[in-house]
Amino acid sequence: MSLRLSILLMSVLLSGASFGQTESDRDVKARKIALEVAGAFTNDGFKMRDGHWCGALKPHDLALIAVNLYAGNQYWFSIGAIDPARKVAVNVYDETGKQVTTENYSEGEKAAAGFSPTSSGQYFVSVDLIEGNESNFCLVYSYK
Amino acid sequence: MNALVRVGAIALLIGCCVVIGAAPPRLPPDQMAKAVRNDAISIPTPGELFAALEKPGKPDWSGQYRGPIPTTYRNRAQIALNLGGLIADGFVAVEAKDSQQVKNIGSDIIKLAKALGVSENLLRRGNSLNEFAENDEWDALQEELEATQNEVKFSMQNHSDQDLVILVSVGGWVRGTQVVSAAIMQNYDERSAKVLRQPALVSFIQTKLNDISPELGSEPLLKDVKEKLVDVEKLVSFPAGKAPSIEDVRKVNAAVGKMMETIQNKTDAK
Repeated sequence: MSLRLSILLMSVLLSGASFGQTESDRDVKARKIALEVAGAFTNDGFKMRDGHWCGALKPHDLALIAVNLYAGNQYWFSIGAIDPARKVAVNVYDETGKQVTTENYSEGEKAAAGFSPTSSGQYFVSVDLIEGNESNFCLVYSYK
Repeated sequence: MNALVRVGAIALLIGCCVVIGAAPPRLPPDQMAKAVRNDAISIPTPGELFAALEKPGKPDWSGQYRGPIPTTYRNRAQIALNLGGLIADGFVAVEAKDSQQVKNIGSDIIKLAKALGVSENLLRRGNSLNEFAENDEWDALQEELEATQNEVKFSMQNHSDQDLVILVSVGGWVRGTQVVSAAIMQNYDERSAKVLRQPALVSFIQTKLNDISPELGSEPLLKDVKEKLVDVEKLVSFPAGKAPSIEDVRKVNAAVGKMMETIQNKTDAK
């Protein structure tokens, strides 16, 4: 694990303690898992955005966020969820709502999707709870 | 016979389902409209924009520097907008691997942030920027700049200055787009030019600016910025996948240049 990722994980734990009123402990735990997933990509030269999106996830209810991406960059969207979520999936859609082909990683409550847009603009990232019960998740993303 | 027809109908139905299932899933428009849009994820950093620009070839980053800007503004909206612009300048200096320029900009960022009364944690960030610059730690510097920007925004939220948060992002996006469009004009390449297409982003920024409280929103500076964004949105709305021509790029550069000029020099701000 890189020094930078260790610092990020540490800051997540500290921020959870300091800013408990704005971010629940469950969000902090989910964010820590998402950062662990994204950490694998930093070894490949991906830079992690210092921003995140945490929320609640219900079975088969898509959680959706809009992102604005640049053609030429490569992106990885990493998700972490916590118990009782058991399996999550992440997908990316273009501005017309059409699902784009992504490289996928999925292991229980961790998942990631990577792709390189050929057109700059708005995309949508969905998080889906495939197995398990309502829980918290967190999304972070990396680019290079 | 009836049984055969029933089996045939079921087979046809299954066949249709398989064909339908083969098409990539689509999000319905109402679901896309309801998607979360937030400052932390939906607005890209100048670093992301610059990373995309570099793919076809490294631009002349130091050629995109601008002269020092005043750090004595008294209008809070103007300070927030210029703070965002300065952070974008910091990203340019990091791309140029110019440690002295990073230190100069870092010092100006702290001065402007102090004028807004943001947290003491920023002083620590300023020291980190200097330290990383002295040690040529460019990746760490870029992350520290983004963390500094988030620190400023977090501090604004804690000081009930939520309205100013979007202004930091706006300043960063305008300055970043000015730098990128200027670099593309100097060495036009279709792949680079594609990064300028961002209609949804400008639309999101406009929505956020319209949500600003009436007191702050009625500032002449913000009214001016909002008016100019309407033109900019049209200029960055190229068809998907099509690269803007060099003339299109020139128009974008002129429009964001005027916005930056207003943000930096407007004197009748309240």
